[in-house]
Amino acid sequence: MTAFILRRLLQTVVVIALLSFFCYYLMTLMPGDPVDEMIAANPDITSADAERLRQLHGLDQPAHVRYWNWASMVLSGDLGYSRTYRVPVSEILGRSLFNTFVLAGAALLFSLLIAIPLGVWAALKKNSRADYLINLFAFAGISVPSFWIAIVLILLFSVYLPLFPAGGTSGIAFGMTPWESFTDRVHHLVLPVLSLSFLSIGTYVRYTRAAMIEAMEHDYIRTARAKGLSWNRILIMHGFRNALIPLITITALSFSTLFSGAIITETVFAYEGVGRLVFQSIQSNDFNVAMVAFMISVSMVLLMNLAADLLYGVADPRITYS
Amino acid sequence: MMGRRATRNLAVLAGVTALIGVAYALIRPSGVVAPPDNTQIVIGITQEFENLNPLASSMSATAYLYRMVNRTLVALDEHTVWQPQLATRMPTMENGLARFVDADGQRKIEADWEIRDTATWGDGMPVTCRDFAFAREVALSGSVSVASIEVYRQVEEIRIDPFDPKRCTFVYTEPKWNFNRMFQFYALPEHLERPLFEEFGHQPQGYEQQSLYTRDPTNPGLFHGPYRIVDMRLGSHVVFERNPTFYGDPANIERIIILLIPNTGTLEANLRSGSIDMVSMLGMTFDQALAFADRVESEGLPFDVNFQPGLVYEHVDLNLDNPLLADVNVRRALVHAIDRGGLSNALFQGRQPAAVHNVAPVDPWFTDDPDKIVIYPHSRRLANRLLDEAGWTLRADNFRYNADGERLRLRLMTTAGNQIREVVQVYLQDQWLGIGVDVRIQNEPARVFFGQTMRRREFSGASMYAWISTPEASPRSTLHSTEVPTEENSWSGQNSPGWVNKRVDALIEELEVEFDPGRRLELIHAILYDYTHDVPVIPLYYRSEVSVTPANLTGYKLPGHQVGATNHVERWNLLPPSGSDARDTPAAAGVTP
Repeated sequence: MTAFILRRLLQTVVVIALLSFFCYYLMTLMPGDPVDEMIAANPDITSADAERLRQLHGLDQPAHVRYWNWASMVLSGDLGYSRTYRVPVSEILGRSLFNTFVLAGAALLFSLLIAIPLGVWAALKKNSRADYLINLFAFAGISVPSFWIAIVLILLFSVYLPLFPAGGTSGIAFGMTPWESFTDRVHHLVLPVLSLSFLSIGTYVRYTRAAMIEAMEHDYIRTARAKGLSWNRILIMHGFRNALIPLITITALSFSTLFSGAIITETVFAYEGVGRLVFQSIQSNDFNVAMVAFMISVSMVLLMNLAADLLYGVADPRITYS
Repeated sequence: MMGRRATRNLAVLAGVTALIGVAYALIRPSGVVAPPDNTQIVIGITQEFENLNPLASSMSATAYLYRMVNRTLVALDEHTVWQPQLATRMPTMENGLARFVDADGQRKIEADWEIRDTATWGDGMPVTCRDFAFAREVALSGSVSVASIEVYRQVEEIRIDPFDPKRCTFVYTEPKWNFNRMFQFYALPEHLERPLFEEFGHQPQGYEQQSLYTRDPTNPGLFHGPYRIVDMRLGSHVVFERNPTFYGDPANIERIIILLIPNTGTLEANLRSGSIDMVSMLGMTFDQALAFADRVESEGLPFDVNFQPGLVYEHVDLNLDNPLLADVNVRRALVHAIDRGGLSNALFQGRQPAAVHNVAPVDPWFTDDPDKIVIYPHSRRLANRLLDEAGWTLRADNFRYNADGERLRLRLMTTAGNQIREVVQVYLQDQWLGIGVDVRIQNEPARVFFGQTMRRREFSGASMYAWISTPEASPRSTLHSTEVPTEENSWSGQNSPGWVNKRVDALIEELEVEFDPGRRLELIHAILYDYTHDVPVIPLYYRSEVSVTPANLTGYKLPGHQVGATNHVERWNLLPPSGSDARDTPAAAGVTP
């Protein structure tokens, strides 16, 4: 198993290195550069100013030289400087990553807590009214665009029923106690989490239901019942455990998105997350921010895939890594 | 196990509850929120901002914020009149504070500046000429990404009075008439920033990365304006509090919070829910503001929707290298065919006035005098006659063809996804179709359109977009023949039509060094005459700035130029509601013309 993990980690490093170059190169192919953004905001910038700024930012260098400079800087532990915000990348990215992790983590947890019991229930009650109702809810969640549900939530629970703030990451107040800060964050999280969960609950319900239906139709379930095992034990130890493989895959992949952000939800709710930050960075050619965020996102996908592979063995002892 | 009946009951209960909730939410009037008072106001903006180091910043939103915390020697006021700010007086030849000098065989200008006695940084240190000299030194060091360096480069030397550092003489390298309009010549607190510049200034962008504006943005010593920053989170918000050491009248409002709401679609919901009290000029789009203004009137909402035509000039560039458009009669016919007044009324309720050329009405140089410029009234008859004269004949299919049987076809481009431009584009297509011109629309994302197509003049026909200028600015970058983007000049310059007019070149050269205001006006009007005569560009309309303010806010005015509404933020005043809650009073609602 150690050899398996080491081999996969080595592959991961190679893939990250290759992807970093391709991502960087693709970004350099985009029309325009940061100086164009400056010209748009300031009519007094002259042609000479534009030329000087391009030299200062190294934009007059070929793409591979710029990539090499960036990679050397990152490998030396310096994530660089954001041209958009004029602060070190670590300062702005760290906070956004944490915020996104909290939002996406809460949404994932909430979705799983709702979706798994609903999916199991729908599977056990296959073709019943409860099943149809849950399926209706699941398909609605999958079909409704996230920006629409976000705006509806704001209208319902911020404008008409002023229960939650319409946006923001936290309230702006001074002298809050730690408890007040915590409750304030939770208060601001409710609507974005609900919005983000609406889609994923539907997806998880469908996966759980399908996996459970398949698992419960196996012979070993009938055998377990014949042996006189309790229903709960059959359901959890034999049915649900065998239904876990597809769930682990989808959950692991969802976990990898915890750091890549939810652009639409973050934008609509003015939530200070990494999705919005990366979008803004790409729009304004802020390579340093966008590249570091890309690398974190790519690394998470690869690492979570590895974690899923390892968890298969835990869920199903027949899977070995020798 | 839940029975079938129980499941059904649960479903019915859930459905009924949801319906009641939605129905209640829809019929219930929106929440009544207390009007803001001088304790605090929350302003929504949709554009990102960066740290407030004035030398390194380049975003419009940052410029908006900067005027709350710092001021410049002079600035344009809300009536587009130059006023001294940090300076006690604006030096001019007439008041004797400025003079021509001859040195090393060159003519230069010397101007005496004096900084207000009471101007201090937030930590009590006086604002002096040393702070300006230091800012100039930093700007010219070559290691800082100053966007527009010319304003610093034009000052050759700052001679500081050894006995009074608040008095100094600026020596200007060239005798330009606008030497004293230094609204982008910023001061840096030398006592705080010099050590950092000494240590990191030799590295590219080293100083700006280590500056206190980056590392310690709430340091009171960085600010001398009516407010100072007490909390700043990039990508989220900035909190300003009244600066007790401000040299002018103390601000009326104690605290101002700027909240970044990147999605324009939720601005109104945030206003109605009370999350924000006001939307800055960097907020709603024009069409959103129009729709909201209607709702303010119909629902009696306690807001003012402000419209102010500004310096942004929407126009259509014509590529003069295109043989079809090289004929001035075709270009004139295209202008005659457009009912620009009708466009303004139909799409903008007349709040974005029709344009006649590139100088906006808010600019003192503006003229619409038909004796000075060529006016093109809407006339299909004139347009058709010009096209006939140009050899384009109307055929039975209602399109025009030349003698070779080639159809009069034009490609019209703009930024994809910009709703207003796309509507205007269809309007133009329809109007030009009326004179037999086959217009094909081809739009591109903004970054492709500006970053590639316009920058390299890769548009074949017509391109619709906007220019922004400053009042009384030289039109060199957009009209001078040396500013046509070419491979030789690395695609710099903004003369995208490729208009080459030697008379205009000479007029621009003369305009930039002419000290007589009356003669300058003659020169700019001569330029505008050629501009409207040759029609390298089709003027469409002057864009308006929009903002939404609480109905009880007084002392606020949208200026329509770059020195934004925050330049007089200390005069903003939130009146207490008289009698009943101002937000419930329909009379409190209104739309500022």
